[in-house]
Amino acid sequence: MSSPERTADTPARPPQDAAWQPLHPLTPFVRGWKVLAALLVVVGQQRGGEIARSGVPSRTEALATLAVIAGVALIGGVYALLAWQRARYRVDEHALQLRTGVLFRQERQAPLDRLQAVDVVRPLLARFFGLAELSLEVAGSGDSSIKLSLLREADAQALRSTLLARAAGLHYEGDVAPEAPERVVLTVPVGRMVESLLRNGSTLFGLVLLIATVVAAVVMRTAAPLVAILPIGFTIVGVVWARFTNGFGFTVATSPDGVRLHHGLLTTRAQTVPPGRVQAVRLRQPLLWRGRDWWRVEVNVAGYGGGSRDERSVDENLLLTVGSRAEALQVVGLALPELAVAADISAAAVEAGLTGRGPAQGFVASPRSARMLDPIGWARHGVRVSETVLLLRRGVLVRELDLVPHARTQSLGLQQGPLQRRLGLASFVLHSTRGPIRPSVQHLPAAAAALLIHDQATRAMSARADGAADGRWMMGR
Amino acid sequence: MAGDPMVPDDVTWSAVSPRLALGRRLVSGGVLLVVAGLIAALAAALGRPLLTLIALAPLLIAAMLWWLIGRQVAAISYAERDDDLLVRRGVLYRSLVVVPYGRMQFVDVAAGPLDRALGIARVQLHTASPGSDASIPGLAPEQAATLRDRLARRGEARLAGL
Repeated sequence: MSSPERTADTPARPPQDAAWQPLHPLTPFVRGWKVLAALLVVVGQQRGGEIARSGVPSRTEALATLAVIAGVALIGGVYALLAWQRARYRVDEHALQLRTGVLFRQERQAPLDRLQAVDVVRPLLARFFGLAELSLEVAGSGDSSIKLSLLREADAQALRSTLLARAAGLHYEGDVAPEAPERVVLTVPVGRMVESLLRNGSTLFGLVLLIATVVAAVVMRTAAPLVAILPIGFTIVGVVWARFTNGFGFTVATSPDGVRLHHGLLTTRAQTVPPGRVQAVRLRQPLLWRGRDWWRVEVNVAGYGGGSRDERSVDENLLLTVGSRAEALQVVGLALPELAVAADISAAAVEAGLTGRGPAQGFVASPRSARMLDPIGWARHGVRVSETVLLLRRGVLVRELDLVPHARTQSLGLQQGPLQRRLGLASFVLHSTRGPIRPSVQHLPAAAAALLIHDQATRAMSARADGAADGRWMMGR
Repeated sequence: MAGDPMVPDDVTWSAVSPRLALGRRLVSGGVLLVVAGLIAALAAALGRPLLTLIALAPLLIAAMLWWLIGRQVAAISYAERDDDLLVRRGVLYRSLVVVPYGRMQFVDVAAGPLDRALGIARVQLHTASPGSDASIPGLAPEQAATLRDRLARRGEARLAGL
């Protein structure tokens, strides 16, 4: 796995390049561009409306507007320049440090042994200049990531290799760690990507709505219905467009540094998740993907999705936008090596987790009495224990299977409402780190749930004691 | 209740202080009394004494809450096992949380002004998951401090990354 110049078990190199370094000089321009564009749009809307109402503005009015724009641009530009001039970063043997702030100064330190993932993000404008943002996730509450924005693309990639090598406890020759060799596992074809977006409830709803409105407009001989659905139309198109651009060219690759993902049409993102950083995995199949047997794979990684619940943070947690069952399972295998290690779980058991019902293949499932509480989905609720991973499945219409390694279990819970109590049922919850996956199984037999929570606490404890991959993952290999 | 899944019977459960119930009753009772007072005042201002009867509703609710809070506080209990902490709560909707000591990132002790006047504090456990809501309200301050220290010590001995 390690090439000659990347060998483990050698003593750590003394810090040499611990000098504070600036970000790329074009940073203020590239980042400030958005603010200026937003300003122009606002002014354009206001002035445009006035011009439409009361004709061409006088010379003084036009000059005043220009002066305001120029003033704001100047102030913003000076601020951005100061911010760039203040920002300095430094990498030593143990941490990445970043100093920022013009008025409120901040110095952030990311301990490398807590590193969870490294992303190289290239926004559209930065791509024109060959620049990139390096984003380092460390485990922490809230938005704990460190973003170096912007660096030269080559610098960002070299820094990524260095950070990963140091976090892994590798020794290497020279100043910069060599890029770990990358092997592409699969790429999502554009055609499939587009079809998967069409096989989507909200897209179909939008299309039906559009056709109905066009028919109504023709029958009523007025454009009013079309105007009325514009806001809904914009929302749907916006969501679909965001999914398309984010998931475009989705590529999954492996490297000694961990799983590497490349995706994006306008803003491209290269994510690296080192081994042992995946806290939970979910395979999901919406109803309309069933004909193709396509699956989506999502992950919880500590630090990902820590910001606001916007499109970007949801996007971070994707491991596969859309893929066949075999591809999805392959990707899950890369993210969770624990699954392959477990000797007591067969491919058939995983299949039962994806599509099966009832207690087959060692699943503990909801009893018939759960029909009262969940008439459609009751037979799919189930949980399967293996040596290393817990499998939790649910959903008849939208099928879901969650996989959580025992070593990544944070805490556990049981819940029981009054009806469940009467029927002798209880729901089991497993607490993972922040992310889209919140593993749980509804309506298990109460006795089985009690046994599960007891045993799972023990398993979580002993899995951690075995020292599952944590911290410096290349040490001792 | 023997064999109840929500109450593992191989552990010794500790209850929380009844002063917690007193605190919660004071807050809910106080708020509802003010509401009742406002209704009565409004009735008097409108010159419709019969409307004062509406003020009985918040008083009734206060009485119900008085009883309910007693049961809820009695239902809160915790148990320290060798490797994990159990917290149990709820009367109608019951829940049990198991937090392995090795997963605790840090432990908080918090007490508001009313809590301090009543001599109680809340111990809150934090793991790397926002979902694990393991808090024990209504402990005597010194009890809370020793519990926190004990938990922190056990956590330190067992903690290994995320």
